[in-house]
Amino acid sequence: MLKVTNLTKRLSNGKVLLNGVTFTVEKGEFVGILGASGAGKSLTMRCILGLTTVTDGEVVFMGESGKTYRTTTIQGKELRRARRNIGVIFQGFHLVKRLTVLENVMIGRLGRINPLRSWLYGFTDREAADAMEALCRVGMADFAARLTGSLSGGEMQRVAIARAVFQKPLCYLADEPIASLDPKNSRAIMRLLQPLASEQPIIGAFHQPEMTAQFCTRVIAIRNGTVIYDGDPHLTPTQLAEIYNQDESGEIQAGLEEPHAGPLFPALATR
Amino acid sequence: MNPSDFSPRRYAKHVWGAVVLSAAVLVASWRSEVNFGDLAKASGKAATLVGLFFPPDWESFPKMIGPAFITVLIAAVATPIGTLCALAFGLASARNVSPPWLRLTTRSLMALERGIPEIILVLVLVAAFGIGPFTGVVALTIASIGMLGKLVGDAIEEIDTATVESVACVGATRGQLIRYAVLPQVMPSLLTNAMFRFEVNIRASVLLGAIGSGGIGYELMLSMNQLEYHKTTVAVVVSLLLVFLAERLSDAIRSHLLEGGGLS
Repeated sequence: MLKVTNLTKRLSNGKVLLNGVTFTVEKGEFVGILGASGAGKSLTMRCILGLTTVTDGEVVFMGESGKTYRTTTIQGKELRRARRNIGVIFQGFHLVKRLTVLENVMIGRLGRINPLRSWLYGFTDREAADAMEALCRVGMADFAARLTGSLSGGEMQRVAIARAVFQKPLCYLADEPIASLDPKNSRAIMRLLQPLASEQPIIGAFHQPEMTAQFCTRVIAIRNGTVIYDGDPHLTPTQLAEIYNQDESGEIQAGLEEPHAGPLFPALATR
Repeated sequence: MNPSDFSPRRYAKHVWGAVVLSAAVLVASWRSEVNFGDLAKASGKAATLVGLFFPPDWESFPKMIGPAFITVLIAAVATPIGTLCALAFGLASARNVSPPWLRLTTRSLMALERGIPEIILVLVLVAAFGIGPFTGVVALTIASIGMLGKLVGDAIEEIDTATVESVACVGATRGQLIRYAVLPQVMPSLLTNAMFRFEVNIRASVLLGAIGSGGIGYELMLSMNQLEYHKTTVAVVVSLLLVFLAERLSDAIRSHLLEGGGLS
């Protein structure tokens, strides 16, 4: 389904951010990636999405009807085709605040509809109905007409999940989806994600080992850009201590995980 | 707060500043032939002149409505066209949307335009298009692009890039990104600035009328030249009324936009 092989990212100053990250995700899995800030969790996801270049290694993603995409090397139309099959949920939600909740959900289909139509008159009634169904699934149907900027964090994350569901992807990536939410909302979001995983695999980066132990089917731990654990989600205290015991360089790397490290959004400018 | 902030030395600096500034003002007024005697003499003349403007010739009021309408039309055509063009220029001049060469070209063009006063623009355009409202429309459209284009470009450069990236992640094309991630973020600022530009355009339209684009400004000029100052007063009142109404209208629309926010 998704195969990450020997993913390596080295900066021009020699600093190694990812060092041979390798894992494979199959249907039905809910993979939680654990690791301290700056370990390389988000960066791995950005590499999978083709949002950043890699020094070495590759990501092979099985798209619709068995077509494979190497997201680390493809660009333009091919990359867009790969991306429309991956539903992404971010820590900061990143919804368009000036659009309504329903419009934000509909954005999930942009990759599948004619660009000219999406510019001129937008979406069909059928698509709107589907989007409403996705909102129902996350319990946000009553908010459909609201301006997204007026929602709370937990509500926005639900809308983001609805957008990803509406996108009908073949796999989900969730980059710290619960990191900026309170415990009650975090649990609620995990409960929404769990059933999705039985349909399409989810790869999520998390900071809460107790959450991954409860909801995930498998845990991958990254430390200083290297996979140090891959297996059962129930970790022992010793294992946890090892995961979060980074050397000092890890702290410095933390800033590089931020989404806008590169030149102003490469998404528009170069890809 | 540091006690030394209140030391006499600190105040001495202020005194020196004041002395230098006063000297500069004195020299400048001497060079520009400021003469308070003339001011006193002229104020007598000015009083007589103001007397000439009264009473206003309200009879001519109905005749001013047509020209006033032209003045408003010029602004009403130039503002939307200018705003649309400014959006294109803004996108072309935003670092995060356009390549550097395009950005540099459009930014320079707009800076050049802002350096040219509207009056000079009209004087040049009159040579090309002749006297008439169309010249005013062209001049004000160009002027609107110079101002709004820069504001839109700056606004686009300040949008939330993470949001754009997240829309890119669903596989959207560059055009779709602009439509669904960039435009919604800059629309409120574009519309409020466009409303403000409409006010500015009404004022400019009155002024440009006097030098060739017609409308109430032309009536104002004509009545002055023909020494019919009673009519001039009416023309002034009508232009003030236009400016005032434009301001009220744009205020109303602006606050509606800000409250509702329901734009996409």
